[in-house]
This record gives sequence, C-alpha cells and structure tokens, in this order.
Amino acid sequence: MSVYQYSAIRARQAAEHDVFVFAANPKEVLEFAQIERVGRSDDGQLKGFQRHQIASHIRDIRDYLSRADALLPNAVIVAFIEGVTVRDVGDGRLEVSIDARKTPPGFVVDGQQRLTALSGLDKPDFQVFVSAVVCKNYDELRQQFVLINSTRPLPKTLIYELLPTVEGLPQRYTSRRFAARVVERLNFTGGRALRGEIRQHTNPSGVISDTAMQKLVMNSAAHGAIREFIQYEDREDRAVSLINEFFEAVATVFGGQWVGMSPRVSRLRHGAGIVAMGFVMDLLHSSQGATTKDGFVPGLELLKPFTAWTSGTWKMDDCEFVWNDIQNTPSDIDLLTRHLVSATKRQLRKLRRAANA
Amino acid sequence: MKFLYSDTQDYVDPKYDFLNDRPNPKRERYWNDAYAHELMREAPYDGLLVAMSAVRQAEGVASSKVRYSTAEEQRMLRIGARKYLRFDGPKFKDLMLMGDCGAFAYAEHPQPAYSPEEVVEFYLDAEFTHGVSPDHIIFECDLENPPASAMPEAQRRFEITLENAQEFIKLVHQEGDFFEPMGAVQGWSPQSMADAADKLVKMGYGYLAIGGLVPLKVDVIKTVLEAIRNKIGPEPRLHLLGFAKADHIHQFVRYGITSFDSTSPLIRAFKDDKANYYIENGEGGLDYYTAIRIPQALENSRLMQGVKRGSFSAEDLAKRERVALKALRDFDQERGSIQGTVDAVMDYHQFLVLGEGGDESAHAKALSKIRERVQRTLEARPWKRCDCAICEAVGVEVIIFRSSNRNKRRGFHNLGVYHRHLKRTLEHSA
Repeated sequence: MSVYQYSAIRARQAAEHDVFVFAANPKEVLEFAQIERVGRSDDGQLKGFQRHQIASHIRDIRDYLSRADALLPNAVIVAFIEGVTVRDVGDGRLEVSIDARKTPPGFVVDGQQRLTALSGLDKPDFQVFVSAVVCKNYDELRQQFVLINSTRPLPKTLIYELLPTVEGLPQRYTSRRFAARVVERLNFTGGRALRGEIRQHTNPSGVISDTAMQKLVMNSAAHGAIREFIQYEDREDRAVSLINEFFEAVATVFGGQWVGMSPRVSRLRHGAGIVAMGFVMDLLHSSQGATTKDGFVPGLELLKPFTAWTSGTWKMDDCEFVWNDIQNTPSDIDLLTRHLVSATKRQLRKLRRAANA
Repeated sequence: MKFLYSDTQDYVDPKYDFLNDRPNPKRERYWNDAYAHELMREAPYDGLLVAMSAVRQAEGVASSKVRYSTAEEQRMLRIGARKYLRFDGPKFKDLMLMGDCGAFAYAEHPQPAYSPEEVVEFYLDAEFTHGVSPDHIIFECDLENPPASAMPEAQRRFEITLENAQEFIKLVHQEGDFFEPMGAVQGWSPQSMADAADKLVKMGYGYLAIGGLVPLKVDVIKTVLEAIRNKIGPEPRLHLLGFAKADHIHQFVRYGITSFDSTSPLIRAFKDDKANYYIENGEGGLDYYTAIRIPQALENSRLMQGVKRGSFSAEDLAKRERVALKALRDFDQERGSIQGTVDAVMDYHQFLVLGEGGDESAHAKALSKIRERVQRTLEARPWKRCDCAICEAVGVEVIIFRSSNRNKRRGFHNLGVYHRHLKRTLEHSA
C-alpha cells in the first residue's frame, strides 16, 4: 500500500464538490478503492451499498477485454470522503494524491464488475479512466451511488433491432442476432405476406410482434427446418425464403383471417399464433418436404378446419376454449402448438391410410 | 435383467474447459453436447426410458428444471425419440426405448395428466419400442392387505389405472401395434397389486410395469413381487418402475425381473451427502467415495447468500477457491501432501458449512466429519484406478463436486460402473 499520484482534469460542476478524471491501472484502482458490498452488521445496521458480483457478467466483460483491440471508454467511478488531496496546476488541471497507506480510502461506485474482470486478466498496460468525486460524508456517497445506478436500461426490442449491425458480441447473442437479421429482411425486403407487417422501432405501424417472429426463427434454427440448413453458406437466404413462402401459403389458405388483421381480432397474427404456426412450418417441411408456397398450401388446408383464429372455439383434447382465450404465454403457446401439430399429423396419417388402402 | 436409465436431458459439453470453467466457445447446447452413451465406450445402460411428464407440460404436472422446451418436444415427436436422443447408431439400435407417463410428476393431481389417446399418440410419434399404460400412483403399501373399502382414495386410483390400461391396449391394437404395450400395476397392498397384475394379464398384457415402488423398503417390494408371481405365474414379464434400490437389485433375480429403471447412480453423484463416486472393489462389491466439494465462489447459492448478507467477502472466497483447486490438481500430479491438500480444501469448504447457520460446535462436528471423508477419498485416489472414458479424459476433475459438467460426468462414470457391476453380479448368480 502506498501513496498514488495522478495528473487529472477537473470539471466545473457544483461549487462545493471536486469532480475530476484521470487514467489508472485497474490493479491500482483496487488498491486505493474498495468495493463495499451491501450487508448487515451484527446489530442489523445496513452497511455498504454495492451489489454482489455476477459471474456471467464478469465473464462476458473479460471475454471482450481480453481481445487486443478491446476499448473501455467509459470511466469507473470512485468516490472519496477523505484520503485524497488535490493541487490546482492551472487550466483545469490537477495533481491528485491518494493516500492508501492505512486503508484504501476510495469506494467504487460504478464499474466493480469491469474492475474484477480486468483484475483477472493479464494486461498490465491497460488503463481505465477513473472519474472521481469527493463527497462530504458516507450518506452523500451512497446517494451518488443510487443516482448513478438507477438508470433505465435500453428496451430489449431496440437492442434486438440493432443486433444485426453489431459485431463482436457475446456468444449468447448469436442466435438472437441471426433471428433479428432474418426478421429484418422479411420486414423490409420480403414478400407480400410479411413485408412491412412486423412492428419494430423503425416500423411502428407494423402489427405482428417482432419478438414473436424472432422466436419462430430461433425455434426453427435450434430444432427445426432452419437447423437443417446449417451446412449451407446461404443459410440466411434459405431461412428468409422458407418463412416467406410459408406465410404466403398462410395468407392464401386463411385469407381474411390473415390479411389486414390485427392480433386483437385474429389469433393467427398474434404472438401465440405466430410462434405456434412456426412448428407447423417445421412439420410440413420435414414430413412433406415443403419449401414453397404451393408445397405448404395442402398441409395448411388440412389444418384449417381445426382452427378458430377469429371466432368460435378451439377443441383441444377434452377442453374447449373461446377463440381469443389463447394468450401470449409459454403454456398457451405450447398448448396451441400441440393442437395445431397433432391435428395436422392426424390428417396427414388419415390421408396416407386412404392412399394405401 | 435389463437396466434402463430414465432420460432427464443429461448431457455434457465434451469440450468443456475445466481450467477456466468455460464451455467450448462454439458450443450449441444439445447439438455439441454428448449423452452418456455417446461419451463412453459403450452405453452404460441397456435402454432408455422417457417420461412423458418430462417432455410435455400439462395441467397438474409439477414443474421441473429438466423439462423439454416446446421446440425440443416438437423435434422429438417429428423425428422420433431414438434419433432425438442419438440412440440410433448400430451400437444402440436394438436397445430398449421405453415410454411412460412419469406419474410421479402429477401424483398430487386428482386425475392422471394425460388421457390414453394422448399417451398412445405420444408414444407412436416418439417411436418407442415399449410404452406403459397411463397410471396414477398409489404411495401407500399396507402389508396387512386391507380391503378396498378401507382405502377409498387408493381404490379410486387403482380403478383409474385399470380402466386406462383397458382403453390403452385397445388403442395400441387399433393403431397397429407399433410398440409393445406394458400394463401399469398400482395397488395399496401386495394382494391388490397381485389382483391388478392378474387383471392386466387377462386384458392381454404380457409385460407389466410395477409402479409406486420408490418409497418402499426392499423387504416390502419382495413381498409385493412374491404376491404378484403367486397370482400370475412365472411367464408374464415384469419391469420395476423407478427402482431406487439399485444396489439391491441382485436380491430380486428370483422374481424373474426382465427390466428395471433407475436414475440413482447418476443422481447420487451430486445429490448424496457422501456416496458420490462408485468404483468396483474387486471383491464383487462396490465402494463409494465422497466427491470433493469446491463450488464456484461467485455462483454457489449458499456462498452468495453469505456475500449478500455481508458476512463473506467475494474476493476472499474467490482466492481460497483458487487455492483449493490448485492444491487438488497438484495432489493429483503427485505434488503436495494429503494433509496439505485436505487443509486447502477444508479452508474453502468451511464457508459452505458456516453459510448454513447453526452454532459453533455443530459446525466443528460437521467439518470434522467432512474432513474425514475428504481424506478417505484422497488416500484412495479412486479416479486414478478407473479406466472409463471419462476418468481417462478428465482425471481429477471427475472427483470435484462443482458445476454440472463435472457432476454429470461423475454420474455417467457411476452409471458405467453400476452397469458393469450389475452384469457381473447377474452372471455369477446365473
């Protein structure tokens, strides 16, 4: 432990506070600042403020920062109550001295997962910006923590819409990125059945849920027809074409239950209907080899009498549901999927038996 | 006698990076993962059992972590379970693939979760070789053989099970007998189970599946089997459903058991307090060792609770975790003493015990017991003596109780040891 010296730049903000920024090595930061996690002392008093570490988050950051081209332009924030002295050297520049001889005087207010990720990496020359604030007392410090960390995350749907244009993302985004790209193409360059019909941030007049369409793509890419295209270079083109052709067939067979309908008046255009019909697409592709509109139409015709997209009731197993009782929940999607797929399979079997007789 | 394993989506990442605790970066779950029968030189079981309740959601089916997603269920029912489970190569194609309803999952519900029609369709789509009629579990087994009138709820379930069996076998015939139907036996006493078995044989079943055995003691199960055999004779084949007493199976040879299913060798790898690792002892029996618990400091829920309460420091835990792992790996490479390794392991392990609460003397007692077991494992080094594909590939990692990739591998190893042990035992008793 020692005294750390930095050249810093001061920003003019509130008169009674010092706010400045400097560059430091993450290891040094962890030596002059502590991560004070929230907890209770033995007599039940609240102490600290930071949340616990999140292993998966740290791993994601570490994976990215281990790359040679990794950048970390946003600063970690450290608050001090004491143990820091600043000397003005003019032009808004400061000489900062942090005394960590007894204990680390700073508190990490923002950036603990980044610091932990960096401290486990072998990158001795990598510096981070430290944005430092000097507070009057601990309560004010905790106030800074809450203010800084109570930001609103970006809406998921916006992130998904941006995904196709972003490189170098964590692995867990891979399947979502592919799905987002396919859905984007269907929406802006696809055929009549889907073009402009999908609601996105940049297409607010669309009515079909973009996340439902993405779910359809992800399901098929994980375990259905699109999975089978994996060996092809043009997998994405094939996926776009298959879904396009399928929904052209849907529009043809179901006509007024599809065209111009909103999810409120037609369950076929609703999240649950879209996702469930994805499984019908996979079934007809695998059992009938359907890849074109004309290939899908006969199977959908067989299914049609067993649907109640806009009125009437669904007859599933021993139960009956009013047409719009189907909700966009995993269990309703599961139920509807099973009904649509079983009904189609049963009709196909019947047809085969008749052909063989 | 065939040993079947009940599939619960047990697969591991064959390229898992144990040193950094990371999955293979290109890994796609299920597709790149390997089932026990793929990872090992031969299948560690004679067949697989798939419970419908693990695959299909329904009203009354208790939720479990190992449920198939809708996409996975749909794929299994499009291509058949054998292909789905990659149990279809020349090595496996003749092994049994049995379906049942997984009645345990809906035991609390007044009715079985699935109708006979739905079950038959499910078995047909999944292309099972054998399928059990939809049953409703009766948990109690009274050796006094009380009359039905004294057991109204058991009697209701008894009748549901038999009515379903009647309907089920009719539908199986109608659909063209694509799999062998098995009649589920449920009863509240040895006598009622024998009666159920008799009725099923009269319906035309040649293969019966005895249910409701899980909570029963070995002697009670024997009494039940005695009563059943007395009633139906030696011919009809018998399967024991969810047989938890796998270690005692050799005592059941004389009842002419054709098959049984159990998950216990795999489950015990990570659910048992001490018997986590199986190995044959060379004297016709099995020895059991405790696995060495070095959980992930930032992921183990008990440790994280301590961190959240503010009683442990995450940085401190992570440091001790690294030391314990290194000590154990060094020990495996003949660097470091048993005592030093035990010390390093226990220095980290104590936080798991402290995190449980309780007083100091209870902690000390628990820790000294664990220390003894850890020491016994280290002295015996059983992973060094095993030549199965898993122990050969990952060495000491198999004995570390830490995250699913190690724990399930240890479970696969146990299945292999158990399967070989069972075959040997049966050969000797033949």
